[in-house]
Amino acid sequence: MKRWAAFLFIIFTLCLSMPSYGADIESRLKALEDTIQQQGETIKEQHKIINELREELNNKKPQETAGTVKEEAEKPKAQAASGLFGASALSNPNISLVLDTFVYSSNLTEEELENRSIPGFTTEGLENRKGFSLEAAELFLFAPVDPYFNLYATIPVTEEGVELEEAFFVTTSLPHGLQAKGGKFKSSFGRINSQHPHAWDFADIPLPYRAFMGGEGVIEKGAQVTFFPALPFYTLLGAEVLQGENEILFGEDAKSGPHAYTFFAKASFDLTDDSTILFGPSVMTGKTKTGSIEEDTEFEGDSRLYGFELTYKWKPSRGRNFTVQSEYLYRTQEGDLSAFDENGDALLDEDGEAVVDTLKRAQDGAYIQAVYGWDRWRLGARYDVLDLFKDEYQLSGEEQDFDGKPWRGTGMLEFHPTEFSRIKLQYNHDKSARNEETNHEWWLQFIMGIGAHAAHPF
Amino acid sequence: MNKYLLAVLMILLAATPSLAKVKVVTTLPWIGSIAKEIGRDNIEITTLIKPMQDPHFAEARPSMILAARKADILMYNGLELEIGYLPRIIESSNNPGIQPGRTGNLDCSQFITPMEKPSSFDRSMGDVHPLGNPHYHFSPKNILRVAEGMANALSGIDSGNADFYRSNLQLFKDRLAEKQRQWSSMPLKGKKYISYHKLFEYLAQENGFQILGYIEPKPGIPPSAGHIEEMIALIKKAKPNAIIATYVAGKKEAASLSLKTGARSVVLPHDVGATETAKDWFSLMDEVLKGLE
Repeated sequence: MKRWAAFLFIIFTLCLSMPSYGADIESRLKALEDTIQQQGETIKEQHKIINELREELNNKKPQETAGTVKEEAEKPKAQAASGLFGASALSNPNISLVLDTFVYSSNLTEEELENRSIPGFTTEGLENRKGFSLEAAELFLFAPVDPYFNLYATIPVTEEGVELEEAFFVTTSLPHGLQAKGGKFKSSFGRINSQHPHAWDFADIPLPYRAFMGGEGVIEKGAQVTFFPALPFYTLLGAEVLQGENEILFGEDAKSGPHAYTFFAKASFDLTDDSTILFGPSVMTGKTKTGSIEEDTEFEGDSRLYGFELTYKWKPSRGRNFTVQSEYLYRTQEGDLSAFDENGDALLDEDGEAVVDTLKRAQDGAYIQAVYGWDRWRLGARYDVLDLFKDEYQLSGEEQDFDGKPWRGTGMLEFHPTEFSRIKLQYNHDKSARNEETNHEWWLQFIMGIGAHAAHPF
Repeated sequence: MNKYLLAVLMILLAATPSLAKVKVVTTLPWIGSIAKEIGRDNIEITTLIKPMQDPHFAEARPSMILAARKADILMYNGLELEIGYLPRIIESSNNPGIQPGRTGNLDCSQFITPMEKPSSFDRSMGDVHPLGNPHYHFSPKNILRVAEGMANALSGIDSGNADFYRSNLQLFKDRLAEKQRQWSSMPLKGKKYISYHKLFEYLAQENGFQILGYIEPKPGIPPSAGHIEEMIALIKKAKPNAIIATYVAGKKEAASLSLKTGARSVVLPHDVGATETAKDWFSLMDEVLKGLE
């Protein structure tokens, strides 16, 4: 009962108060307006005082900051997270664009360049055209995906269209010094293979790479695992499973499914505070089916490529540095070489059997290059050679003879106004075609990068 | 018998963590010096950048990646000073503990208030630092906060010794307060200087001196003949107290300007270890302020 009484009482009072509220609502509004006005004036006055105080403070500041350090340092404002790569935007990945354009000149004709193969190694000619050339405007995207992965993509835009050169993830949180990589990436075989062409010291790839892997090196779809043990000196061990589509080394249709495997080891130590050496062996093995060995033939068999890399770097001060880099490559191939006629049909012998030879190749090559840098200049030289120690080429058991050792000598002078722009002049004395003809090549190359500042590998 | 063995094993296992030193990897020498003040003998410090290397132009050497592989905590300057090599070192270290966002990744710039943060810029202005001037190590005010941040980070990683780190921080604070009294009594207020690189801005702000111009026209770009002429005119007109260079950048240019104008040139250590006498952060500050006097 009591509750009911209380309830009724409340309703009653509410009813009573309502009309009175409605009656003097205008006067109440007026009162409110007055209060607001008063408060506004107070705020104005306060602002004035604040400004005066601020000025006073500003005048005092120099003496004060030069004075003693306050015990309780005030907490600085939380800064925007800058992230691993420095940019503050979470919504966008880091983007950079590298322009690689050059002027090319040669004493040979366009046709001679196109057909300039390396007999005994590859039928692939040179892709360079005389005059102005645009290698690519390369788009790089990179950013952490989450606390477990970083993502990288390299998208060269050429006159022919857009390519997906690389797109891969790298793990960041595996234990025990392990790291995995997956997608499409440059193989870590050897040294120059995993570097981007615009980061190369010279405008073109060394001759042994061109002979064994083609002008761009091995870029494959696959997966990589590296193991980095915490030893007293730097040792990195790695293995890759690759689809095996490199046109020269494997060929696209060699086998369905992944059929190329890479193993590599890299070791390094500092000789002094200013100098470092890096070295290590690599091996790449896989099934091959390619038409690039001799004209009108197809080879099917097994390939194995061994490499050894050695780099020495000396960097005594901001302006000066000296690098010597060398790689030795050795490739074996064993399998069947089928011949075709002009129409692409299997060539038949007198008994109507397809002409198939067994091919056994064991060949090698090496390059050595040295670059000296001072202030904003770099001067470099390179020597490449094939058939250095081994030039076995057996067709059905019979050794084939190719004349001379293919070789090439290169000189380079580079000016880099800042680290974002480079202008390079390069001369190649190219004797790689095993004939009397020398290809005198000249390059004037411009490489410029804009956008996010990606860190350079060693 | 087995019980005894087990007991011995238990003791050994329990003892190992407290015996092992915290492995601290720092990019710059001064960071190592502050870390040493806080961590003393409890930590083992590896510094990636050698005192005579220019921190702007270092390279990710494999030995640095190896140090990062073994690190319990990585302490770095931040504000993009190490952008050219540190991301590579962190990623290639295969060490999850020092990845961004983990307790073992300490960006010292998170504790400071940066100066000269440009509101808009592009690279036509040279290799500018979009997050602000990264050379805050000459600022006692900011270093105090960095030291606090380090003490917290070390306590987080090695909580058993949190009290040790805290008491070392207090000792550091006391010493800094005493040093500050000495430093602020030096008559630098109102003095004018020309500098090679933007390196002493925090110090100028805190000690009330002025830097009128830079021999480097834009960060990272060496001066042209025209710019040198402008500098000569400026020096003759403004009569600065000194032309400042460091042992890693601008020594030659400062000397030649001094010869042409008669203004005094002074070569200062840019970081701990750049001279024999600048063996820790305090003596670095002593040497720099004395050189400016």
